[in-house]
Parts: sequence; C-alpha cells; structure tokens
Amino acid sequence: MMIIAAIVTRGVYLQPGNLTDILRTIAPVAIMAMGMTFVILTAGIDLSVGSILALGSVGSAALVMQVLPGMPIIVAVPIAILAALLVGGLCGAVQGALIARLDIQPFIITLAGFTGFRGLAKLVTDNRKIQLNTDGAQELAAWLSQKEVIIGILIIVCIVSYCLLRFTVFGRYVRAVGDNERASHYAGLPVRRMKLAVYSLSGMLAGLAGLLVCARNRTGDANFGIMTELEAIAMVVIGGTSLAGGRGSMSGTILGALILGTVTNVLGLNNVDSNQQSILMAVIIILAVALQKTRQSI
Amino acid sequence: MPSLPTDQPVTPSRTGHFPVLEPLLIAKGVTKRFGGVAALSDGCFTLRAGEVHAIMGENGAGKSTLGKILAGVFPADSGQMLLDGKPFTPANPQASQASGVAMIFQELDLFPHLSVAENMVIANRAFDEGLLARRDRMRAFIQPHLQAVGFQGEFHQPVGELSIGDQQLIAIARALSMEARILVMDESTSALTEDAVQVLFSVIRNLKAMGVSIIYVSHKMDEIFAICDHVTVLRDGATVGDAKTSETDMARLIQLMVGREVDRSAQAVSHAIAKEVLRLEDVSSASVRDVDFSLHAGEVLGIAGLVGAGRSEIGRILFGLDPLLAGKMTLADAPYAPRSVREAKRRGVGLVPEDRKGMGLMMQMSVRENSSLSVLHSLVSAWPFSVIQTRREAEEDRLVSERTRLKSADPRAPVHHLSGGNQQKVLLGRWLQVNPDVLFLDDPTRGVDVGAKEDIYRLVEDAAEAGKGVLMVSSELPELLRCCDRILVMNHGRQVGEVDARATSQEAIMQLAAAPRPS
Repeated sequence: MMIIAAIVTRGVYLQPGNLTDILRTIAPVAIMAMGMTFVILTAGIDLSVGSILALGSVGSAALVMQVLPGMPIIVAVPIAILAALLVGGLCGAVQGALIARLDIQPFIITLAGFTGFRGLAKLVTDNRKIQLNTDGAQELAAWLSQKEVIIGILIIVCIVSYCLLRFTVFGRYVRAVGDNERASHYAGLPVRRMKLAVYSLSGMLAGLAGLLVCARNRTGDANFGIMTELEAIAMVVIGGTSLAGGRGSMSGTILGALILGTVTNVLGLNNVDSNQQSILMAVIIILAVALQKTRQSI
Repeated sequence: MPSLPTDQPVTPSRTGHFPVLEPLLIAKGVTKRFGGVAALSDGCFTLRAGEVHAIMGENGAGKSTLGKILAGVFPADSGQMLLDGKPFTPANPQASQASGVAMIFQELDLFPHLSVAENMVIANRAFDEGLLARRDRMRAFIQPHLQAVGFQGEFHQPVGELSIGDQQLIAIARALSMEARILVMDESTSALTEDAVQVLFSVIRNLKAMGVSIIYVSHKMDEIFAICDHVTVLRDGATVGDAKTSETDMARLIQLMVGREVDRSAQAVSHAIAKEVLRLEDVSSASVRDVDFSLHAGEVLGIAGLVGAGRSEIGRILFGLDPLLAGKMTLADAPYAPRSVREAKRRGVGLVPEDRKGMGLMMQMSVRENSSLSVLHSLVSAWPFSVIQTRREAEEDRLVSERTRLKSADPRAPVHHLSGGNQQKVLLGRWLQVNPDVLFLDDPTRGVDVGAKEDIYRLVEDAAEAGKGVLMVSSELPELLRCCDRILVMNHGRQVGEVDARATSQEAIMQLAAAPRPS
C-alpha cells in the first residue's frame, strides 16, 4: 500500500515530513481507536468518544486559561494531561457503570453519552469557543502541538494499549468477556468491573484526544470531534476486530489507523474532492473487512 | 421433478425380488476436509430400501459429516455415491430433496412465527401455490402427511409454540410431502423428552412400514438397538464396520467405536470418606424446595432426576447464581450464602456448567487460554501491571492436560476445533486448576464420546481421592451408579430421596424420579 501511495503522489508521500504529518493528523482519532478496540473486543461499542473529545477540549482550554498560567511547562503539561484523562475517564466511567449495573446495551448508553456530553460541553461554554489567547496558554499549546510531542504521545498510547491487550490479565479478560460473557461469569471473572474499565479507558483516551485537538487549534470548542467516533470505529474495524467481540488486535487497529490516514493524505495530495474521498473511504472499509472474511473462511 | 417415479415411494428391483434386499444408496470412500482437518477420510455406507440404518461413532468420528454429505448439505471432496445405481452428487439440500433425500436437522429449520400449515407449504416443491393458496387446498395437501407422522395439534398454530418433539414431526411431515424416500436424522432425540422419543420411534416404525428408508445418526446405544435394523460404525473418519443390529451387541459396537475393550463393570467404588465439607438444611430457592444433604471430603454425591427436576438449580444456589430463600448452608463449618460466583469461587466452590458452549468455553480463544482463565490472576508478575507469566501458564496447562488426558495437538489452537469430549476436558481442567473443595459437575458427560467418558469418570475418582467433595448431576443412571457413593433424587423441584449407590438399582431411582408430582 505504501508503494502505491508513493507512486500516486510521485514520492511526496514518502518524504519524512509527509509521513509525520500523517501521524500528527491521525493522532487524536487513532488514540480514541485504541480505547475503542478494548470496548469492541468486549462486544460493546462507544459512540460517545467524539463528544467526550469536545468536552475534553473545552475542559482543557478552561484549565489552561484559568489555572495553569504562570506555571512552567514541565509542571503544566502533566497536569493538563492528567486533567484531560480524568475528565474523559469520568465520563466513560459513568457510562461503564450504567452499562454494567443496569445491563443496558452499550449502544444505547453511549448514544445518550453522545448527545449528553456534547450538550454538557455547549452548556459550560455557553456555546462560545474558549480561545487560548494569553502568552502562557499559547506557549503551552505550542509545546503540546509539536510534531514530536503529538507523535510521542501517540506512540506511547499505542505501546501501552498493545501491551495491555497482549500481555496482561486485563487484556485476556477483555477478550474472554467479549467472546462469551455468560461463560466469563461462570468462570468467576469480574465481568462488571471489566465493562466499567473498558468504557473508562475509552473515555480517558477521548479526553486526551480532546487536549491534543485543543492545543493544536489553540481553542476549546464544543463542536470539535463531530463524527470522529465513527472514524475511530472504522479504524478498529479495518484493523480486523470483530464487532461481535472476542476477536481482534491492537496491531490491527494501528494498521487501520495508518491505512485511513494514508488514504486521506494521498487523496488530499492529489486534490481529490472531499465528497469523492468519503465515497472512496466507504469502499475501503468494505474491502478491508471483506478481505479479512475470505481469509478467515479458508 | 426429475425422472424418478414419484408415485412409488420404493423403487422396485428389476429382478422382482423383495425390494428390501436391494441397495438404494451406496457411498464409497467418501472424504471431507474442513480447513486442514479431515472430518471424513473413508466413509463407506450402504442403505437398503425400507431399512432404518444407524450411523454411529464417537463424537468427532465423522458420523454427522457423512450424514450431511448423504443429504447434500455440503458436497464430498472425493469418493463415490450411487442412488438407485446412478451417480448421486447433490450440490445442495434442494438437489438431494429433488432426488428424494431429505435431512431432519438437530436445530430444526422451521419458521417459528409461521403456522404449522404455512411451514408445511413454504418453499415446498410439491406445492407450487405457496403461502397465498386457499386454506382448504393447503389443508388437503398437508393433512395426509401430518397424519402420517401422527401430528395432533392445530394447523394454524405458530410452530414456535409447539414442543420440540412436535416441531420435529412437522419437519418430517414436510419432508414426506416432498416425496422423500430417504430421511437423514441427526441426533434427533437429543432435545426430546422421554415421551417424545417414544412418539418419534413409533413414527419411524410407521415410516418404515410406508417404505421410507431412514439414516439414523446417533451415539445412543439403546436407541439404535430399539429401532435400527442395521448399524454402520465410524471411527476417526473412516467406516470400521457394519452389522445387523440383531446380530451384534453393545459391547461389540463399543469396541468398534473406540477400538478397545471398555470395562463397563466397574461400579461404585467406595471412597474413603472424611469430614463434612458442605451441608444444606431445608434449602429453598425460587426453583427448588427442601433440599437437605451433607457432603463429605472424598465423597461423590450424585444428583438424579428428569430434565427440569431441579438438578442444575442446586448448583445455581451453591454457585451464588440463585439466592437462597430459606434454609441454611454450611461450608467447611462456616455459614455459607454466596451472593456471586466470585464469592463462591473464593470460598472454594467450583461449578462445571452443563452447556459447555453457552456457559463454559470461549470458543474463539485457544485451548490454553480457556484452561487457565480462572486461575490467571495467580499466574502474574507483580501488581500493577499484572503481566501474564506465559511460561507458568503453559506449564500449568500442560500438567492439567496430562491429568485430563486431553488429546489436543496444539494448546494454542482455538478450542472450537476440539471434539465435544476434549472441550469438556478443557472445561474440567479449568476447574481442576482452581482446585476447589467442593466441585459441582453438571452433566459432565453430556454429548461426550465413550472414550472421553471413561476419562471423565477417572477424573471424578481422582478428585474424590484428593479429598474434594464432588456433586455430580447426570441423566445416565448407570453413570451415577458407577461413580457415586450416594445419590440424591430430585422430582419437580423437590428432593424426594437419597439412596446408597451400592444398594440401589436404576429401577428404584427411576421410580422416585418419575413419580407423579409430590403434593
């Protein structure tokens, strides 16, 4: 695929600047896709991440403007990241608790989260954008939106998610619950706690994505991240994770993110009209999943 | 319709001999592979007109595969099949139906929300008016066939409201209405009550009298001797023998199936019983009442009863799945009233559920991952990362596989590749690793082949010898008599008796279990 991409862009694609551009562009959604992978592996779905991203962005902006000014970067950055994880994690935890306790389908709970959290973001900002217009805030945002920092955060999230799924009890339990929830219960696994955990994790990563988007745009905006939940799901699905739960991998999701990022990039470089891009994206999603189907049935 | 004579259900032989002697359907050297696994390597089978012919073998022997190939569910990879002396290579079930061969599936392929009459005529080659036909014409078409199978319900009733037994009759009647001459029945009695089994048997005898031949795929000995004329035995994907049922016996068939002598005389070994580990006093839940027993370390306590008598429900109370409504439980001299599976597990109670696919195994996960699942938390490096120590996991899995005699080529292969018996061993192995003091086994040999059954009996023995208290539910009385010290009998949600396994008989237990509802 990279070869085709290199050919149709006459080599522009392979320039280091372009490759890192792709990574920077996909970072927020790819980070959410990591959390989404855990959720989908438990046979759940999280439609709220785009809205949590928006809430994360306005929360981060408010925090940076109100609390952090004057603090040195080295202190302010960890505080901002922790706060974003916390806000997102709280949103996710509320949903996870409802899903686990009330035993309501994740689609419905996170659909409520999808409208609710964006509504909350609009309410607290009174429908206004929060500009990062002080010197301190600008400096912090500039630091956070450096390519190296964004790609660094992306890589850290990738590695942590990969290891969590691949090597830990948590990852094994996530797959077990998605494979057969009833049997997990009979095997004595903490099924409810697992659900609480995956939605919290998904929320945390969406909050983090919100901070990155906020820094990049020097703005907190309740209208950020519209449709990104679906992009995240697309990355997961292209990566071969089954919506029925139990089967999938983090490396697949990483690949899915790179595929989506590359295609968007190549089409952009060739000035393909955005409507056509959307249609092509649809074809890619179906092709990717169909290819995996035929491979499995052999 | 193709060239077959539809007015004559049985093809008469040209020489004028009695048609029963004439081979109707012959299969030779039939093979079938699924992925890399050979399900059938040399399937041979000869069906004579008008006979009931059993295909039997252990789980995974390839009997269902052979049945399905004969019925055209999927094509064979190689081999030869002849129907009426002509090559028979059905591409799909419709094609074989057109030749008069129909399959009655284990999971019935009926439409639950459509009525009996609609199910009979929908997509029926012999009735081209379809669902929009006039009522009386529909009725005239279906009546004789429903009569032939002895169906006594209403024609307008939705099929989903009928019992499984009646649904099966509808499926058979439907096949008959399409002029089926050969019916393939795959484990047809597995979901039936004892009454319904008897009804089915009389229908089978009736069909035979009508000249319909039946291929009866089963591993149930008593049924085969009850209704089959002939039996073909498969082992490891190949036909290893066939015989008239009147000229063979159970021991001979079992020997063919497993390829070795099985000692069926081993009965009720007396266990060295130590102190009491569990006591239930007048325990009631939403579905059982007045359960009262004590279980000692080193003892195997059987639970007998008909399906639905409340056998599994005792396990549900012990495992924290159903709340205790009345009575008292004592576990290792301490009060016991678990509110969750996790609490039960922590207190040293394990349960191997009856439905291994639905409640037991993660089918997409590997054998080893399934095996270690319940003890995974103890196979990790230091908190907070809980990284699984794969070497220890593999070692524990290897040890338990040796104990269960699990025959699995690769512990990393998905568990759904395994046969039923081996899957059950994986599930048992999971709980053997947990090493609980009280182990509740809910019908551990259901749908398991003879060889694996022996292994499971031995595991029950081992567990008792290791000082566990074992509770074992089973539908097979010989199995309970063989493995248990004492047997509780359940009837309509109540404990109606407790008998000494060495001093009782199947008849005595059956009388308790099948008695009319106690007042």
